[in-house]
Amino acid sequence: MTKYIPYLLYFWLIAMHQVFLSDVTSIFGVKINLPLLIVALVAVYKEEIEILWFGFFVGLIGFQGANDYMIWQVLMVTVIGVVTYHFKERLNLESLFARLILVFSVILVHNIFTLLLELNEGFFNTLFVNALPSAVYTTIFGWIFFLIKNDRLTYKKIKSIF
Amino acid sequence: MNKIGNLFSKHIRNIHFTSVVILILALLFAGTYINSYINQVVSVVFYSPFSIVKNSYLELRKVNEDNERLSQALINATLKISVYEEAERENQRLRSILGFEPKPIYSLLPAEIVSISGSYIPISAIINRGINDSIAVDMPVINEQGLIGRISSVSSDAAVVQLLTDPSNRVAARITDSREMGIVKYNSRSGMSLDNLPIQATISVGDEIISSGLGGVYPSGLKVGTVNQVVKEELEPFYTVHLDPAVNFYSLEEIFILRESIQE
Repeated sequence: MTKYIPYLLYFWLIAMHQVFLSDVTSIFGVKINLPLLIVALVAVYKEEIEILWFGFFVGLIGFQGANDYMIWQVLMVTVIGVVTYHFKERLNLESLFARLILVFSVILVHNIFTLLLELNEGFFNTLFVNALPSAVYTTIFGWIFFLIKNDRLTYKKIKSIF
Repeated sequence: MNKIGNLFSKHIRNIHFTSVVILILALLFAGTYINSYINQVVSVVFYSPFSIVKNSYLELRKVNEDNERLSQALINATLKISVYEEAERENQRLRSILGFEPKPIYSLLPAEIVSISGSYIPISAIINRGINDSIAVDMPVINEQGLIGRISSVSSDAAVVQLLTDPSNRVAARITDSREMGIVKYNSRSGMSLDNLPIQATISVGDEIISSGLGGVYPSGLKVGTVNQVVKEELEPFYTVHLDPAVNFYSLEEIFILRESIQE
């Protein structure tokens, strides 16, 4: 049972991000797609069944305010989570660069999907102004996560810089 | 039993996938009622703790901003009051030299509107102050915007305010700059107007209209409205002056009753 506690914390982290941090961390309207970043990271490190259910619940919780699109988001996030897991299984993701490419692709695909769901006109404009920068911005956080996870970015190292 | 267990563990992956697909399909075809219920549950369990914190923070920030603004306003008001007090002392001194009666001073009694009545526009309001609070008929009622009306009847714990929008209510008024006088009244069709202003008077759009204090009910200097249209009709001895009321009668909340006390 205790193995599910981190997932519960992820859900609260996503909710907290949507309520507080999303606006605070946005740069020129470009926001971090935290739900998908967490789904991608869980897909990289966890098992298929876990990411299947995790994707489902992230879709429900992370896109709670999406009204008519919520169910489509649930479907999309679940599918993205499972597909990412299978990519991880079939590809060599030892290098940091490969992982970042995967995270970037996952987030970009989701951003494009969200655009298609919500946008009526100006698709390409929003793609280049918002969806693509959002994927890059979110990937930067993924990069920081991988650096910390692989002990390449530690408190000692940061301290030694300053 | 063991067989079922083996079958179950063999197809555990398919069972999970099927469960998720069934759930998604169920959500997809479920009515908006189910979806909004799920939304509510998610909102209460995951979002509401953070929403409460965020709203409290925003509220605190607003209170802080209001506090700073009001502190600044208080400083400005204090400076103005000191100037006015000096002018008042001078006024009293000169009035006593001339042998005039001392002017009454007023204290403000705050009150809350309990109910408002009127079909198209509010014409009267019931407030939560009465005889027990030393309220009497004909006491003027104001708010921070200007003159609202007068107390028309009073009981032990409540009173009725006759608003300026009541067509039977009249205010003796004057133009702030030119000091010329007229009578302010309200008509449900044409709105607030300043009547009995002779065509020799100097008036223009934007002029402020204040109570003149001559009617015996309202003290002088209370803001009543602003001139928004001046019509001079041929062969008529008076202007037709339309006013914008100083007070928004549709959003009355806190009001103040002016209680007179004779200056010693």
